[in-house]
Amino acid sequence: MEKIETQKKTLTENLFENANLSRRSFLKVSAGTGVTAALITGIQPELKALAATGASGTNGKGQWLPATCQGCTSWCSKQVYVIDGRAVKVRGNPHSKVNLGAGCVRSHLAIQQLYDPDRIKVPMKRTNPKKGRNQDPKFVPITWDEALDTIADKIMELRDNNETHKYMLMRGRYSYLRDVLYDRMTKIIGSPNNISHSALCAEAEKFGPYYTEGYWGYRQYDVLKAHYILLWGADPLAANRQVSYYTKVWGDVADQATIAIIEPRLSASAGKADEWLPIIPGQDGALAAAIAHILLVEGLWYKPFLGDFVDGVNRFVPGETVAEEAFEENYTHGVVKWWNLELKDKTAEWAADVTGLTADQIRRVAEGFGNAAPHAISWVGGGPCMQVRGGYASMICHALNGLVGSVDNVGGTLKANKEYTKKFPKPDDFMDEIAKKGKKHEKIDQRGRLEFPSLKKGKSGGGVVTNNAADGILNEDPYEIKVAIGYMNNFAFSAPQPERWERALSKIPFLVHITTNASEFSWFSDIVLPDTHHMFEKWGYVKSIGNGYRHVTLMQPIVKNIGDYKIDETEIPWLIAEKLAERGFDNLLRHFKTYKDPETGMEPANEKEFALYALKYATQNLWDPAHYKGGDKFSGWEEFSKVGVWNSDPYPYRKRWGKMKTKTGMFEFYSETLKAALEKHAEKHNTTVDAVMEAANYLARGEKAFIPHYEEPFILGDEKEYPFVHVDHKSRLNREGRSANCTWYYDFKDLDPGEDLWDDVAKINPVDARKLGIQSGDRIRLSSVTGSLVCTAKLWEGVRPGTVAKCYGQGHWVYGRLASKTFGKEPRGGNNNDIIPAQYEALSGSSAYYGVTRIKIEKA
Amino acid sequence: MPRYAMVIDRQRCVGCGSCSIACRAENNLSEGVYWSHKITETSGVFPNVRFHYLPTLCNHCTNAPCVRGCPTRAMHKLENGITMHDPKKCIGCRYCMINCPYGVIYFNWKDGHQFWKDEHVLIEGATSSPAEEVRAAGGKTTPYYNPKNSKAPDIRPKGVVEKCTFCEHRVRKGLLPNCVEACPADARMFGDLDDPQSTLNQLLGKFKPFRLKEALGTDPAVFYIRDFSAANYPRTKGAA
Repeated sequence: MEKIETQKKTLTENLFENANLSRRSFLKVSAGTGVTAALITGIQPELKALAATGASGTNGKGQWLPATCQGCTSWCSKQVYVIDGRAVKVRGNPHSKVNLGAGCVRSHLAIQQLYDPDRIKVPMKRTNPKKGRNQDPKFVPITWDEALDTIADKIMELRDNNETHKYMLMRGRYSYLRDVLYDRMTKIIGSPNNISHSALCAEAEKFGPYYTEGYWGYRQYDVLKAHYILLWGADPLAANRQVSYYTKVWGDVADQATIAIIEPRLSASAGKADEWLPIIPGQDGALAAAIAHILLVEGLWYKPFLGDFVDGVNRFVPGETVAEEAFEENYTHGVVKWWNLELKDKTAEWAADVTGLTADQIRRVAEGFGNAAPHAISWVGGGPCMQVRGGYASMICHALNGLVGSVDNVGGTLKANKEYTKKFPKPDDFMDEIAKKGKKHEKIDQRGRLEFPSLKKGKSGGGVVTNNAADGILNEDPYEIKVAIGYMNNFAFSAPQPERWERALSKIPFLVHITTNASEFSWFSDIVLPDTHHMFEKWGYVKSIGNGYRHVTLMQPIVKNIGDYKIDETEIPWLIAEKLAERGFDNLLRHFKTYKDPETGMEPANEKEFALYALKYATQNLWDPAHYKGGDKFSGWEEFSKVGVWNSDPYPYRKRWGKMKTKTGMFEFYSETLKAALEKHAEKHNTTVDAVMEAANYLARGEKAFIPHYEEPFILGDEKEYPFVHVDHKSRLNREGRSANCTWYYDFKDLDPGEDLWDDVAKINPVDARKLGIQSGDRIRLSSVTGSLVCTAKLWEGVRPGTVAKCYGQGHWVYGRLASKTFGKEPRGGNNNDIIPAQYEALSGSSAYYGVTRIKIEKA
Repeated sequence: MPRYAMVIDRQRCVGCGSCSIACRAENNLSEGVYWSHKITETSGVFPNVRFHYLPTLCNHCTNAPCVRGCPTRAMHKLENGITMHDPKKCIGCRYCMINCPYGVIYFNWKDGHQFWKDEHVLIEGATSSPAEEVRAAGGKTTPYYNPKNSKAPDIRPKGVVEKCTFCEHRVRKGLLPNCVEACPADARMFGDLDDPQSTLNQLLGKFKPFRLKEALGTDPAVFYIRDFSAANYPRTKGAA
């Protein structure tokens, strides 16, 4: 027993011991907290534990402790400089082979998020029963006990009435401990409705790689060995992904590679590129088709991968069909079909008309790209894909990698390395009859219906249609939602046409929000629970790729909590499980107790132990030498938790050639995999693939549905009334729309090319602005068919005439004192989503953010 | 005694501004004060456009006009080449600001960190005021206050000027200036000009460096090499 006690102490406190917290510094802190301290009783025991470590004074000296940043989905491993339990600075974790010790600018803002005075410190409940945008919820503080009792009562009501399917869990930013709250708890309560945010992210970007090379995931790019890098709507020096790694090596990459950026706006990466191709929004597929056409006509394909004509004579002549048997493919499938069905007429001149680029530039880029084969990367970002018809753009842009043989190759596009984390125990034995029956209902987002094929990993209804859940709730189709919990999500801000979410959330009789700040989503909630900040206060882990490696990086509580925060994914579900058990339903708690500490075999006794054991359980294969499977090796949990990151083995090049997870095992230009998926979906609905295409708002009919091809973009709004196409983009200071309450966000906003300090600008080409009589600094209103926003005009050459580029991130009307102009009433800046209609790339379920709406500009 | 200087490789620089925010954190700077800063420019006309970024900071000039103009010697040179400022001697006359050709000296019209002095609470009983947040975190002036453990005050009062110190408090301990440390691109290099083998001298011997407003004879200690844009272009002779 004594041994176990000691061990527990080590596990939960070694980090704090390192920080040399003294009793004196602690008392000083508690004495000074005033009102806040009076409210916060929950952290007292932890404080005592810290003080009991008995270390001497620090003299203001701190220690670098391991952490993980989720400011964007780069998911870098970090270190935080902590003095007396207080975070001061952030830097990259030098132990990560993915980010190589490099930080990035947005990571620094995490400190201002951590110490945001407007973070909710204690649970709150609304006292105004009326819900709506103009209804102040009149939140008042309550105890955790009251909050949890209320939540448990509401869940029990559903169980008592056999309507557990009317429970819903909405997930936002997550760690891989997510399944506790997202999956297991939802299933054991008995609901099918675990709705993730994923389709607001970039699911469509995965569509192309999956239906060509059988990989549903984000890619990593072997940039240091590449000679040509073609970026489609990706801005790796500012936005996503592995910003830290690409930032670190880009200066060297530029020495040996030609860098070409396709984007209607001069992005941070475009500012440093060899070629900027300011394409007309939505026409990416046309450019990709032309590049493919040129590669084939000029014989620039990579023969060791693709193969060659049997007699070695190139028959890819513009306008002419080719006999399939004339070409012998090596590791690909259907290149001649692709040529015949799509590419043969897609000349540079044709594409120049469609894309607004010059034929010269298109040819120059295509030839440069082809001549660099196989060390040529076609880097497909969210831009071309997160559009209504972006699924096939994702496919055709990614297919270029097949032509030049850079898939899985040196200097090319790579998938994720192997890692060895474990799944949690299965919930099945803890699901009673009510739960099993409840789970069988259709999901609230209507995925898998004819118009939402959502073909994640080849399965009809395999992926979420996040934004459509609002309509499901509003129309009670398939049924009403009565009890819902959301965590670290803010669909009433981050989803296109958020006004739908305002109404949908108002309609839910009992809504809980787990969040750091009272956000737009919270505004409609009945109970708001104060969440931990992922980087400093939470147990968790995430996986990420870059530099030919994968890392698994830990999130740990490394600072003294100022508020009575609890961990969203572990502590809170445990506490709810306890309350449910008190009410006679102990299945969830019994399930959670199977997450035993791998070191001691002990089952968790409280929420804090549960959070830690869940993490140790999931990562055991990484740190337990007896379970070693590969990559970095540790002597045990203690060493792993101090280093904070595990690295995989290096990337094994070309291992997947001929063994891809497609129907044919090959890289498919004619996708048998997509054909099977579409046919299955059609069969489910007793119809044809053509009918599916029509329902999904695609133009392709017949065989074309199975190949990468160009589709005319679907853009809402009449051109006469709405003359400009809206271009949404992200800021290098955005922390997923959560940094707008940080002073540094505004004080450094001009780090984004074209942006201004302490303002939210719409970037307009001077040619267009002159016609409208608009000057920089004018207040303007941007309107689409679904909404409008007010911001400031900025005349800028870095934006294509006929388009208006506006950065996402501002326009909060709650969230905090800086984020909103008047909290609860008036936004600071404009939220792009207010003008983006709720439209979908239906084959992946994604929301369309780009090339989806026309807008007009008026003086405000 | 070393002669400290900095080389900034603009090709490695991606214009992310990590240097400037890391400087804020290290030196407890208020909003609006940029010891580490930048000059940006969008050049060209659509579609031939690029964005350029030039990181700036105090040049720690050998012939520092700010030092020569200071009536109280608050602004002074250290033997290691760093241009330092002693706020205790500063009378706030701002001659240094007028004399500095680079605009890198700031005057504190009021006490810093006004944001954190606010006692206003957004949601009564559930959130904090900024001032409460500072107290609860155990910080000083800001919750994330960094104790620099140097003779100079960590946070400069109103009525005096302030500027980049090359992180003298770190350099003294054998650490790099924080902007150098925090640069994710390794675009900033710090070292000793008097050491012929230093990284700096190797780079200055390899590339043609430039310094800002060199013709003024200030002899800046901040050197720039290479170009922010490494772009290639098709061979041409133009057209007559």
